[in-house]
Amino acid sequence: MKKVMQIINLHAKIGEKEILKGIDLDMFEGKVHAIMGPNGAGKSTLSKTIVGHPDVEVTEGDIIYKGKSIIDMEPEERALEGIFMSFQHPVEIPGVNNAYFLRTALNAKRKHLGLKPLNAAEFLKLLKSKIKELGMKEEMIHRSLNEGFSGGEKKLNEILQMEILEPDFVILDEIDSGLDIDALKKVSEAINNMRDSKRTFMIITHYRKILDYIEPDFVHVLKNGKVLKTGGIEIVDALEKEGYKIFGDA
Amino acid sequence: MKLVDINFEEFKEQKALLQKLKSMGLPTPKTEHYRYFGIKPILDKEYSLTMPKTQKPEEANHIEIEDGSVVKAPKSLYIEMQKNIKIDDSHYDQIYYLNHLLSERVIHIECEEDMDLKIVHKHTLSKALVPYRIKLTIAAGKRVNFYEEHLVLAQDALYLYGYDIDLQENASLKLVQNRISNLDEFALIAPHSVQCNKKSNFALFTFDFGSAKTLHNYHIVLQEEATTDANHVIFGSSSGRMGNTFHIENRGKESKTTQLSRNILKDKARGIFDGLLIVKNPAKYSSIYQDSKTILLNDGAFMVSKPQMEIYTEYISEATHGSTTGHIDEEALFYLRQRGIEESLAKEMMVVSFLNEIFEKLGDEEIKEEFIKLYEERQ
Repeated sequence: MKKVMQIINLHAKIGEKEILKGIDLDMFEGKVHAIMGPNGAGKSTLSKTIVGHPDVEVTEGDIIYKGKSIIDMEPEERALEGIFMSFQHPVEIPGVNNAYFLRTALNAKRKHLGLKPLNAAEFLKLLKSKIKELGMKEEMIHRSLNEGFSGGEKKLNEILQMEILEPDFVILDEIDSGLDIDALKKVSEAINNMRDSKRTFMIITHYRKILDYIEPDFVHVLKNGKVLKTGGIEIVDALEKEGYKIFGDA
Repeated sequence: MKLVDINFEEFKEQKALLQKLKSMGLPTPKTEHYRYFGIKPILDKEYSLTMPKTQKPEEANHIEIEDGSVVKAPKSLYIEMQKNIKIDDSHYDQIYYLNHLLSERVIHIECEEDMDLKIVHKHTLSKALVPYRIKLTIAAGKRVNFYEEHLVLAQDALYLYGYDIDLQENASLKLVQNRISNLDEFALIAPHSVQCNKKSNFALFTFDFGSAKTLHNYHIVLQEEATTDANHVIFGSSSGRMGNTFHIENRGKESKTTQLSRNILKDKARGIFDGLLIVKNPAKYSSIYQDSKTILLNDGAFMVSKPQMEIYTEYISEATHGSTTGHIDEEALFYLRQRGIEESLAKEMMVVSFLNEIFEKLGDEEIKEEFIKLYEERQ
């Protein structure tokens, strides 16, 4: 197995509060890594740290992605290198047209890869085919980014972005929150369709349900800013029965 | 000469104006609508008073006014230099009366047909005080689109100009004021008066881009079933001070006022939105709406936003106002950057999206492109 991301003794704080207290974690190409943990364990902070959220300050340690440190990279540089995060609460940006935003993002990536940009017609063709595949309404092309979208539509829009941008490393931050069972199935199916031997997924979740649809290769348990346990799906079974206390404290 | 040194006795023939101005006095830093503009340095500055010349305009497909004189105009258009026009006797801005007092003749443009008209103001005289006024009459039932541009070449100058607009019954005017100036020491004070008669419609779009010192003071009166839709964009930079103040009076029943203000300020720029919407007692079932939003691109920028309402009737259909001022939404900015869009472009997308409501309402891509170009230059 090829390591795609190596998190080494990662310490990070938001404001004055230290949240990550020495995370060590290896993630592998083409694998699905589930990150579970109680509230306040540092799951979302870990994802924010990987994508370079300005609220997070790394105080110690490193993140090696595809063989190089990304700690000092701007968020957009990390994105162009293939790191994509599906947000737990996608923001609404009134006035920014969904299609225009997506084309700008895709063409930024194509430029980074040395490819020529897609013109409006070429992009629209691609977008319409992806929308159809996802069973989304075509009218959302013309709407402002996430504005007035239902919870399910917002999550599907995140998946649409993922499909268009074809990232190598996908962080799904509580993609299952706020989804009904049908929407969860739809989102999971789309994610499974994106799985291949190269693409890595990091799924942050509180619940087992999504892992019934997207089978993880690894499950990591986070508590008090550290990884307490790494294993397979059996960890989820143990958590269901006993709760996080079975792994003790970090 | 300084503005404060003008000998008003020279204008004693214009009794009504003089009396009005004397009763109000010149503005001071405490005068409400000048409070945040910084009027004192403008009043204290030495200028050479330059009256516009009356000359035969060259034929052109647009109107060009150079330092207050009409130098170009379409042949088919009725333009007259008129004396002693009927003035607005309830304007709240004393400079309105001073401007009229100093402007012996008013440029009267009469629109008796539906038309699209462009007017270019050229301000070329440095260290000058140039007063002039325009009276615009739109005949009953006519539809006019009036597009205004300013070309500023004058430094250390003060220009006083403004419109007296008479919208006759069922007439419609869309006035687009595109005011770009990048000269820091250019000042312009523009008191406007707009009379909207029964069932007339006044759509106003103002775009103040740049770093000059400009203040537009609008007194708008709406009679029965008249509507005003006023939209304002300020993009101020450097030490620019740009503002719009308003008294909009709904005097007739079922009249309607809508006002949107969107402002982007950077460096040490100051923006002013001071709008008072008044619903008089006879204006039953009227509606008023006012919304001002501002993005400050850095800490030194400053916005004065004063949406106000005075309602003197119990029967009102809608009365809504609001104001917000803040920085760019960092979470939204991060969201765009996380998709690989570089920070400067992400900010630009957000700024343009913030103004889109007004750009789309106007339906003029040219002004939007002009804004984007200016915004990019200022980064």
